[in-house]
Amino acid sequence: MALRRIIKELKDLQRDPPTSCSAGPVSDDMFHWQATIMGPNDSPYSGGVFLVTIHFPPDYPFKPPKVAFKTKVFHPNINSNGNICLDILKDQWSPALTISKVLLSICSLLTDPNPDDPLVPEIAHMCKTDRLRYESTARGWTQKYAMG
Amino acid sequence: MDSDAEMPMSSDEEMLDDEDYYDYSDDMGEDDDGSGGGGGGDSDGEEEEEGDEELVGGDYEGREAEGSDEVVSRREQRYIVLTEKDINERQEEDIGKVSAVLSIRREEACVLLHHYKWNISKLSDEWFADEEKVRDIVGLLLNGIDLPNSRKLTCGICFEGYSSDVMSSADCDHFYCHECWEGYISAAISDGPGCLSLRCPDPSCGAMVLQNMINKLAKDDDKVRYARFILRAYVEDSKKTKWCPAPDCTCAVEFVSDGNYDVSCNCKFSFCWNCTEEAHRPVNCETVSRWILKNSAESENMNWILANSKPCPKCKRPIEKNQGCMHMTCTPPCKFEFCWLCLGSWAEHGERTGGFYACNRYESAKKEGVYDETEARRERAKNSLERYMHYYERWASNQTSRQKAQADLQKAEKEQLAKLTDVFGIPETQLKFIIEAWSQIIECRRVLKWTYAYGYYLDDKVKSEFFEYLQGEAESGLERLHQCAEKDLQSFLTVRSDNTEPAPSIAEFGDFRVKLAGLTSVTRNYFENLVQALEAGLEDVHSTAQGTTSSNATNIPSKKAVTKGKTKKQLPRTSSDNSDEGWPCERCTFINPSSVDACSVCDKHRY
Repeated sequence: MALRRIIKELKDLQRDPPTSCSAGPVSDDMFHWQATIMGPNDSPYSGGVFLVTIHFPPDYPFKPPKVAFKTKVFHPNINSNGNICLDILKDQWSPALTISKVLLSICSLLTDPNPDDPLVPEIAHMCKTDRLRYESTARGWTQKYAMG
Repeated sequence: MDSDAEMPMSSDEEMLDDEDYYDYSDDMGEDDDGSGGGGGGDSDGEEEEEGDEELVGGDYEGREAEGSDEVVSRREQRYIVLTEKDINERQEEDIGKVSAVLSIRREEACVLLHHYKWNISKLSDEWFADEEKVRDIVGLLLNGIDLPNSRKLTCGICFEGYSSDVMSSADCDHFYCHECWEGYISAAISDGPGCLSLRCPDPSCGAMVLQNMINKLAKDDDKVRYARFILRAYVEDSKKTKWCPAPDCTCAVEFVSDGNYDVSCNCKFSFCWNCTEEAHRPVNCETVSRWILKNSAESENMNWILANSKPCPKCKRPIEKNQGCMHMTCTPPCKFEFCWLCLGSWAEHGERTGGFYACNRYESAKKEGVYDETEARRERAKNSLERYMHYYERWASNQTSRQKAQADLQKAEKEQLAKLTDVFGIPETQLKFIIEAWSQIIECRRVLKWTYAYGYYLDDKVKSEFFEYLQGEAESGLERLHQCAEKDLQSFLTVRSDNTEPAPSIAEFGDFRVKLAGLTSVTRNYFENLVQALEAGLEDVHSTAQGTTSSNATNIPSKKAVTKGKTKKQLPRTSSDNSDEGWPCERCTFINPSSVDACSVCDKHRY
């Protein structure tokens, strides 16, 4: 079941790739993917290319995939390990969701961070009280880690 | 010396009691005739015991029917023990009721009740105020969606095409194949009771997955688990019902009226309904929590080290002295040699300090007060530890005695009654007094055990002295009862192979029965009074009693207050107070007014 579903998702992605993301298996292991996310234009992450790893559990899609950033990101909902605080990757997961939709949700998170549910409280605080500094720092990290 | 003094006194009491017990045998006869219970002289304990008996075994409905025919039903039941079957029946009854009143399917009623925590009145209020809103919140769609007229549908989870007969939806328009439904339901059930609020897999849809879908699409073991989650929710969502905490017990206890929280389950485990710890009257939940924490705390180990060890003068590690010699050597790598008394280097010891085994430095330093701070702290810790150990050891030994008594009760039920029936030809129904005696011993051991936790936290010195007097009386009374049930009974069970001594006669056994039943009754009354006094915080002890040499001489004013329609039983009194405040009954220790010649509790005459 899991493998059939993963293969179907891969074919869908190849046939109809989303505009700002790409994803596929790293090697022969279909349960381990790698994805790239283009920083949204209307965010301080614009111009950056962010690497994301995806691990599918054996009971996928009834359990959510494990998704983490490989590229360093200055974001209140993403920590230094790359863990992402996103509800659909945890309790709000549904088997009707797909990797494509997950990646789109992560793009939305980059555009609209959620400082009220922070994974990194210091960044969340800056995001709420000093928006300009948060944006300039995020832009700086993007140029330093997500470009070139 | 104390034991020598107690011997003749004990025998005197026994002689006196023997005479009194002839009156009690009349009561026994009445009971045997089956004239019915419910006399005014019944004690609270008897009420509780009868209540317990009624609750053991049988259906809840059956018990209700039985209760209506008996005097017991007129007494207030504090709690009801519910078997798994009782819980299931109540739950189905609630579901049926809601289903009928709201004109909905049973599985819909089930999710509604779960959402409103099985509170029928709240559910009804909300439903009739705004049915559409309630449906929306809970996820109950109004009408089912008909399958679209299409030969093939695509499952939204595995993205495969299927014919409509192997597709299902949660009465919404999102269809998934049965294989995916099974996986979805199985994952939700394995996650826990959250599956009782399972929604359609589509993230934008809130349609509730009902039990009929679970029963249709889930694997068999998942159906069983789902049903169990529903049953458990019925108890765990209720504020009035709790599971019995005993391992392997499947019963729950519903608390129905005010009163003390100690309840007894069908499995014979007694627990506090409020905190679900073992039953712990006369101490309150907070004290029990502190006591249990203290017993398990690592700090007691540290306290022991502090009280029984000294630090090495060089490396400061604690060392316990386990041999007589004062010459101490620290363990490697330190290896420092020092004197235990003054903690000075052993190299400085010798003839200059008064000899190897006499430490003048310690004596002189002690006079100067050099060691006061450290020694005082160590002394305080040791005293504190000794006090704790005093109370803990007695708490634990009563626990051990109680467990032994529980084993003896089982042995009596299984073997001894049948044996006595063989020997004396008395039917087992007339040997219940033995079971009652052991039950009383078990209960009294429990109370006595917790009095030691009570005493540990009792700070008032005057109350402490009086408390210890009462506790001592309770202890000696219980020992008499325990001895009678344990050892005296043994003589009637031993089968003598030789004929040197005649076997005990039925008359002798009758005397034993009178004695044991009397001791059971007296001990029960004393312990009930003790529990009430301790729960009231020994309020009759006043600070004006400060300075008295003995708590026995304390002048305790007699207070009789009417509480909840019952006369509050008074504490046992010393005979010196008889002429002023009333006289204590010799059988049950109740304080009667001077104008009365017979005890108002047990009807025993004063002289």
